[in-house]
Amino acid sequence: MNASQYNRGIRKVIIAGAAALGIVVMAGCAGTPTTKSAAVTKKPAGVWPLAIQDPAAHESGAQIWSENCMRCHQLRSPAQYTPAQWGIIVQYMRLKAGLTGEQAKKVLAFLKSASAHQD
Amino acid sequence: MKHKQRMAMCIGLALAMLPAAGLQAAPARADYKKLEKKYEALQAQMATMARQMTAMQKQMTEVKKEAVAKATMSEKATKAEFRRLYKKVMAASQRISELEPGNIQVLIDGDVNFQFIHKSGSASTFYADASPLIQVRVDKHIFINAGFDFYTQSGAAGGAQADMGAANINYELNNYMTIGGGLVSSPIGGIVGIYNPAPWNRWLVDGSLEDNLLPPNELGVWTRGGVPAPNNLGYFTYFLFVSNGPALASTAGSPYNTLTYGNWNPAAQNGKTVGGRVSYLPIPNVEVGYSFEYARPSADGAIRTSNSMVQAVDFNTYYVNKKIDGLVRFRGGWAWDQVGQGVIPGTTTFAFGNMSDGGQIEAAYQPSMCGIKYLDRMMAALRYDYIDGPATSGFPTPGHEQRWSVGLDYWLHSNAVLKFEYEFDNLSNAQHGNDAMFVQFAVGI
Repeated sequence: MNASQYNRGIRKVIIAGAAALGIVVMAGCAGTPTTKSAAVTKKPAGVWPLAIQDPAAHESGAQIWSENCMRCHQLRSPAQYTPAQWGIIVQYMRLKAGLTGEQAKKVLAFLKSASAHQD
Repeated sequence: MKHKQRMAMCIGLALAMLPAAGLQAAPARADYKKLEKKYEALQAQMATMARQMTAMQKQMTEVKKEAVAKATMSEKATKAEFRRLYKKVMAASQRISELEPGNIQVLIDGDVNFQFIHKSGSASTFYADASPLIQVRVDKHIFINAGFDFYTQSGAAGGAQADMGAANINYELNNYMTIGGGLVSSPIGGIVGIYNPAPWNRWLVDGSLEDNLLPPNELGVWTRGGVPAPNNLGYFTYFLFVSNGPALASTAGSPYNTLTYGNWNPAAQNGKTVGGRVSYLPIPNVEVGYSFEYARPSADGAIRTSNSMVQAVDFNTYYVNKKIDGLVRFRGGWAWDQVGQGVIPGTTTFAFGNMSDGGQIEAAYQPSMCGIKYLDRMMAALRYDYIDGPATSGFPTPGHEQRWSVGLDYWLHSNAVLKFEYEFDNLSNAQHGNDAMFVQFAVGI
């Protein structure tokens, strides 16, 4: 493979990546979190990306926590950290696990509540 | 005669009495016509009034509709105003909370482990490792992460060593995307950077042979996040980056053909790499991933005629059920490193043009629901791993290497584990490889 072939190859990769990113950004803007989740839920399944529904819309924080965290490690007790510490950890783990912002919010609400109960 | 006189008298009498009786004379035809006209005029007037009434009713209905519409508009305007005000108040509240002392939250966690290693052909040794992780939540969007690794190294030049594993800034752009830059664990292959981030979290003590083919970290910029699949058909995660590329090993004593990841060699960094990992989760406890890294590595800047492509697939799944008295896990992955042709510095000899590959599959079972004390904290793990490098490369030894590893873990806590592992090693150019035994105590903070 010569230099021009290499450049063509890397250009294709970058274009494909940019297109994928554009779609994700559009989806992100179309289904902006929080208050719009209920409206998104009502939309019938249709043309992508309008039919995208955040899993957080129909899952509880406890469910998201147990199903997703256990994929990579043993479940940590909510009592191991304070609510403030969970705020930091969930922000970090959102990145690691690829959670949506809504999912992370629900998990954090659950952990904070469970952590406070066990104090 | 008498009769005639009598008739005339009667008529005269009657005529004389008429005015006294109040009777009038019969109406004239002109009067009748006048009355008829009057009646017709009245009828026309009534019809006009009826039309006017209908018009008024119609008008009333329209006015009513208009009034209702105005009221609705006013209500909508009020709601919009309320939302605007609510946003304003929330923004102000957020700003105030950001100005309060202590709003930047810092957490130091990480892990510490020590182990005893006995490997055939080498002297046994103790080993210790501490990896603090500093995590800072600047606000709800900005997150900073810095990780270090302090460890002991045996041998004549041994001693305490330090390394940096992470130094990155992340910004949450929206519900589905975070962008960032700096030094971060590489997502390639998934196994190293995602499933096995720390020793306490590995089921077995020793790393997989596949790890040798994968970059441990990336120094660059990236975007990552999760996107639900359309129509509730699962979930995608992605991690795409541009980073400093790998270098080709070319120093004396090192084999050609192999990629070295370190991100520190400036001569090799002119060729940046593009890569990423995309995974699909049909259900939360099943994940399959594909990753790639495309670069044009140089060998200490001397040659730049080669390209490299690393590709990997991985999967991860777990299942918890009372029927099996607990938890069973499976993970696996395979990676291919392809390096294109180049010229050895100072010669006209072509080198490279080779492929290395390797992978692993591991399984673990923990009878966490068996109800038997101590046994419910044990986890048995089994792994098969394999690597095949170019015969001339000595990577990690010429030819291929395969191992079977068995381990038994005892979980004192969800983040504290005592592990025992035995590794059966086989090399293609030897009767027997370097079998090894490990004992480790690891704690995640």
